[in-house]
Amino acid sequence: MRNFLKLTTAAIVLTSTPAFAQTDGTADDDIDWSLYEDLGFEDESMKRFCSAKIEGLSPAKLISLGYDFQGPYTIEAGDMDLLNGSSLPGGSKQVNSTAGIRAGFNLPVVSKTNLVWQMGANYWNTNYAYAEMPTELDNPLHQTLAEDGLRTSGINTTVFKPLDETQFILFQGSADLSGTYGANLMPAQYLKYSAAVLWGKRPTEKKQWAVGLARTYRVGELNYIPVILHNSTSANNKWGSEVLFPARAHVRRTLNPRNMLFLGYELQGQSFRMYENLPGFDIRDEDLEIRRGEIRVRAVYECSVKDFIWMSAQVGYRINYRYDVDRLVDGAEIYRAFGILRDDPYAQMNGLANPFYINLSFNLVSP
Amino acid sequence: MLRKLTFLAVSAVITFGTLSFDLPQKSEDPGDRLVGIWEPSNGRSRIKIDRIGSKYYGRVVWLIEPNDADGNPRTDINNPDPDLRNLPLRGFRMCKDFVYQGEDTWSEGTLYDPNNGSTYNGTITMSDNNTLDMRGYIGIEAIGRTDVWKRLKMPSRKKK
Repeated sequence: MRNFLKLTTAAIVLTSTPAFAQTDGTADDDIDWSLYEDLGFEDESMKRFCSAKIEGLSPAKLISLGYDFQGPYTIEAGDMDLLNGSSLPGGSKQVNSTAGIRAGFNLPVVSKTNLVWQMGANYWNTNYAYAEMPTELDNPLHQTLAEDGLRTSGINTTVFKPLDETQFILFQGSADLSGTYGANLMPAQYLKYSAAVLWGKRPTEKKQWAVGLARTYRVGELNYIPVILHNSTSANNKWGSEVLFPARAHVRRTLNPRNMLFLGYELQGQSFRMYENLPGFDIRDEDLEIRRGEIRVRAVYECSVKDFIWMSAQVGYRINYRYDVDRLVDGAEIYRAFGILRDDPYAQMNGLANPFYINLSFNLVSP
Repeated sequence: MLRKLTFLAVSAVITFGTLSFDLPQKSEDPGDRLVGIWEPSNGRSRIKIDRIGSKYYGRVVWLIEPNDADGNPRTDINNPDPDLRNLPLRGFRMCKDFVYQGEDTWSEGTLYDPNNGSTYNGTITMSDNNTLDMRGYIGIEAIGRTDVWKRLKMPSRKKK
């Protein structure tokens, strides 16, 4: 009887083990991989579409929380022309630092083979720490920057529509409230709308390019400009480019898929409404907007800290492109087209010295 | 007599054990509609999904680029475990442990992305008999990405 039990146990073990030891009941050596080479879709009406990404691209950031810090520099405020025809004298002021939180998220709403749609939001805060606090005797630009700082709150959307296996259309749009507002947002009438639409091709798994047109405030004031997208990865996956010209362009060095280095630049800017009134100066009635545009030449290191949490550390040089003040009467936008269409004078022309800056962020990246 | 009895018992166990392994494969379990060969949206690979026991697993059976730049079969070079980086990608089991939950949904499994060596929680939804929404996510389903896989015809040739 003991032998019977032993044999029964052995039989159960022998017959059960293979079910868990193999993947599909077939050892790799017995598989004819060529069987899987020439297979069509079960539903022959189905089409193949190109992917939104290419191999080797840096991971998309779903949620991001960071801090931006610029070192000391000087703001040279020009004379400010007022509505009543008078002007306020300018003046130079030293800023010890400019810093603030930068947060955002970007989540997929639709992620299909033939359509990818993402929605996101962002919040950027910039506080100016003056060496000496400006007073009512100083130019209102210094006062408003010192007391209120600048911030941007916005929502954005990205739609990727593949047309076939290589062609695609990309649309990006955003609505931003940028200004000197505090805890209470500005009215929606001050929203700034940006958008870009591109048509492109993805000829290989490691290359995509596109051309299109953008409505942008990246250099501070409204512009309509052509844009070029070019993402590529070398054959050995060690080098690549991530370009959306003229907004940004970077060369990528991939140490491994969890450690990447970038060298390049980014244009950053917006038109900031001078919204919060100052003591003795009713700035809201002046319809003034700071056209801030800057070029950030930088080195960026991105790495996975743990699983899907990535750190991004930037070190760079912030070069001022524009920090002039426009007067938008009744909110009417001024479109100069780099002086080709209009040549309206600025209400105030300012100069900023160029500091070094650092930016550190932690990001939850996309699968 | 005891020897005959033992022989009969062992035979019965073997037969029963074999049947218990094969029967689910042949039954019309609604979850088995997942079994087949599927192509991810980028068309770079093909995945064969099988049922093992009560769970579903998918392995890479075809790669558009089966070899690396040196002409050697591609391996899982991005695996976070250095000991596993020499495993060939073709044959690699990248979908694991999916359990049919009813209503055309399989979950509780994981998806592995050999492009970056990351493993995600996964949920599979069959939007129609030939289309899968493969959702990889981090912690909660809202934080993730969905890839659409299309069913391919089963191979008609047999290995000689």
